[in-house]
Amino acid sequence: MRKSQGTYRALMMVIAVAVVTVMVLPSAARSQDVAVGSATATVLAALSVTATQALAFGDVFQGIPKSVANTDAAAGIFTMSGTANAGISLYLELPDYLVLADGSDRMVIAFSTTDASVDTTGGGDPTGMVGGDGYLNINPFSLPGTANLSNLGAANIYLGGRVIPTVDQKAGAYSGDIVLTVSYNGT
Amino acid sequence: MMKSNTSFPGRLTPIGLRGVLCALALLLFLVLDLSAGVLVAPTVVILSDKERTGRITIQNPTAKPREVDIYFSFGLPESDSLGDVRISLQDSNVTDTRSALDWIKAFPRKVLLAPNGSQVVRLVANPPDSLQPGEYWARIVIRSQDGAAALPLAGENNQITTNLNMIMQTAIMLKYRTGELTAKLELADASALQRDSLIEVMLDMANRGNVSYVGILTCRLLDAGKKEISHKKIDLAVYRDMKRRINLPFLPGDFKPPYQVEVLITTEGRHDIADKDMIFGNIINRTLAVP
Repeated sequence: MRKSQGTYRALMMVIAVAVVTVMVLPSAARSQDVAVGSATATVLAALSVTATQALAFGDVFQGIPKSVANTDAAAGIFTMSGTANAGISLYLELPDYLVLADGSDRMVIAFSTTDASVDTTGGGDPTGMVGGDGYLNINPFSLPGTANLSNLGAANIYLGGRVIPTVDQKAGAYSGDIVLTVSYNGT
Repeated sequence: MMKSNTSFPGRLTPIGLRGVLCALALLLFLVLDLSAGVLVAPTVVILSDKERTGRITIQNPTAKPREVDIYFSFGLPESDSLGDVRISLQDSNVTDTRSALDWIKAFPRKVLLAPNGSQVVRLVANPPDSLQPGEYWARIVIRSQDGAAALPLAGENNQITTNLNMIMQTAIMLKYRTGELTAKLELADASALQRDSLIEVMLDMANRGNVSYVGILTCRLLDAGKKEISHKKIDLAVYRDMKRRINLPFLPGDFKPPYQVEVLITTEGRHDIADKDMIFGNIINRTLAVP
């Protein structure tokens, strides 16, 4: 019984350490000086940008436009992480067309003035975002100039869009680039 | 010997524990995967006439290889008439006299980062001899995308499919300093106005030094008895002129008018930049009445 309790405690300790490790991960980006005895290490401030999920339209049919809202599960998701509460500048470059790999045809892709949301809580779920979580349904060509990372140092961009195939659109796989540029505006 | 089959009242059985551990392992994997991306440190690089080389570290904590390109651009935080701040990057035809774009180089400029790999990028400045004292700027842009970007495949029955490559760019400020350096900020104009349940503070700042004024801006909304209603603290970087809008909410409480806003701007207290890289300057204290 005592042995089992000891094993149980050890396992719980492992779990606790693992949970703390997970919780601490996002804060690794914060800058701090750590001094213990004669050993000193400097953890540098960092900035990380991740494409958590690509904007996905699935299969598209000739002559039938298809839209994905920025609150849809298929929305594109970018995740930024860094110094807590830091002001960030965001800029999206969006394509006008998607093209076939051999360049023989292209398909229009359009983004409306409400196709983006910036979640300054770092929630990461486009379907669960509400207005109080940041900037809902805004223009992806003019992202807000006062966005901040959350107090845990995270933020997300959710992006929707619309593809408009023509009635004689060639079958095949079309691709294009979405580029997000992120920088701190307080350094 | 009898195998212990003890379960703790109200606690998990060993089988349950295994389940928890499996779930935890899955959670760890998911969190690591979700928090993955190309990470760049530090977020500002300082070079000088005494130290003309520097470095940044790029890490790929993902399980996929990443293609990374490093190039330079120019872009300062600029504000519009509403006090919003944006950074527009300019890659060529930069005429700004404070641009370091033409004489900064990075090695290497293209990297394929292995899963969980990292790469140190070295930066070298070769400034012209005729530089005036002060600070010169460029942005180091780190562009990354999946290294093994698979071409999209057409669906069955000749359908049309799409694949959008999500490309990430991180723009880090590089500052080159030479000669005698002065950080000095002037608060040219300041106002506080009530708008619905907010107090909108507008600050018009002008850089009077020869380096960027980097510090912290704090605004505190106070009632007649100096009781704090709300406050906001932001990292500030003023390169030339800048207008900043700060919205202070009226939080619920027993507060008495008239209200006022205390504004404090200082170069002290930045924890994300090493003290040796800070140019400490003047402090601005201002109290604004809310009409």
